[in-house]
Amino acid sequence: MSPPTRSKLTRYWERYWFTPDTAEQLALVRVVTYTLLFAIYLPLDDRGWTQVSPVFWVPISAFHFLSGPPRNAVLIGVLQILWKTSLLTSAIGFLSRLSMAAAAALGFFLLGLPNCFGKIHHLDGFPVLLLGILALSRCADALSVDRTLRRGREIQSGVSAQYRWPVRLAQTLFLLVFFAAGLAKLRNGGLAWMTAANMRSIWLAELFTHTPPTQLGSFLAQSPWLSQFAAVATVIVELSALPALFVRRLRILVLVGLLGLQALIALMLGVYFTPHLVGYALFVPWERMRRAT
Amino acid sequence: MRMLPLRLASLAIIGFPAITCFDIATGLEHWPFGSYPMYSLRYAERLSWLRLYGLTDRGEIPLRDERDFAPFDEARLIVALQRLQSARGGNQKLDEALRNLMRLYNRGEARRLPVGAPLRALRLYAVSWDLRPGLQGSEPPTERILIAQATAAEAER
Repeated sequence: MSPPTRSKLTRYWERYWFTPDTAEQLALVRVVTYTLLFAIYLPLDDRGWTQVSPVFWVPISAFHFLSGPPRNAVLIGVLQILWKTSLLTSAIGFLSRLSMAAAAALGFFLLGLPNCFGKIHHLDGFPVLLLGILALSRCADALSVDRTLRRGREIQSGVSAQYRWPVRLAQTLFLLVFFAAGLAKLRNGGLAWMTAANMRSIWLAELFTHTPPTQLGSFLAQSPWLSQFAAVATVIVELSALPALFVRRLRILVLVGLLGLQALIALMLGVYFTPHLVGYALFVPWERMRRAT
Repeated sequence: MRMLPLRLASLAIIGFPAITCFDIATGLEHWPFGSYPMYSLRYAERLSWLRLYGLTDRGEIPLRDERDFAPFDEARLIVALQRLQSARGGNQKLDEALRNLMRLYNRGEARRLPVGAPLRALRLYAVSWDLRPGLQGSEPPTERILIAQATAAEAER
């Protein structure tokens, strides 16, 4: 690689990850993320898993270190309270380092535990990654109780590259989730995945395997053209998530498409990707909106 | 940025996407990373599934409510039962699973109002439908084969 090319790549790398941003923008991402996650997971109750037979136990990832399914419902209950409290204290930036580390570690355990009972649901993986990234970042440098207590009053924390990379990394992982889903369809189903017959079968099968809130799937399955369009559009929108990482104009279009896709999945299949709302929220220019108001 | 935060950031920037890309390339799952293969297989025009029915004094009723076997939801539970069905010693494991599910059902039922008819047994059927346009989701299966069952007495033991 010639030196000019390498320096161009280096510049692009630095611009992508380390373009300076304000502490307030990252702090607002923190506030929105932890508040949303608290609201979404408030009803979560893992204590029931302590009553499930070990015959269902298929540990994933780090859960292999457990000797079997947890049996202490009180302990799980306490961990849940600690986790939800840590989400709240992270949102307001109180005992920030400890709160965010606890939110990430307990989120890893509590959101991962149900996946050790036969099937991995892919709804909660991204929020756990996001909790991990925020715990490594300096997202409590502004708009936090800690900051206020330390200085006596809220102050501006300036502009730095360290306020940019956490959001950029989280955005990258979020879009890779969809690219992975599109690629898996082509790898496992081949080009035949994008046929009207396959799309129709998915919509109709979900009527029996899930409880969709509408009959939209049944209605649309009657049209071969709509089924065909939906199959091709799904794969194209999902695969477009990769180029959308680098092309800003495409990014907005793809995000709207992905949000629409997930809304239709909820209506037609009864599968709710609510935790992914925190991913879409990463792309909102919160500080600009705050200044505008 | 100072050197230490920069190194930490670079480690995260390389580490997180590297594991993600590894899982995407290999199709493996390392929670919380994954390859996101949901709905990626081609669906046949005939759906084969498992379904739980409760035997009451009035006959069999399909049990599909999200609260019936909490904390399981239907999708997770059926996939877990399919896994047990194809595992070594599957019959014994399915029997144990059904006894446990009946206890979960009774535990949930005790908290629900109005209290439904008590179950005399829990039955697991292999069910299938021919997927043709016009289906609403309420149609009975075109085929139903009993796989396993647990009685109330067995569940209490």
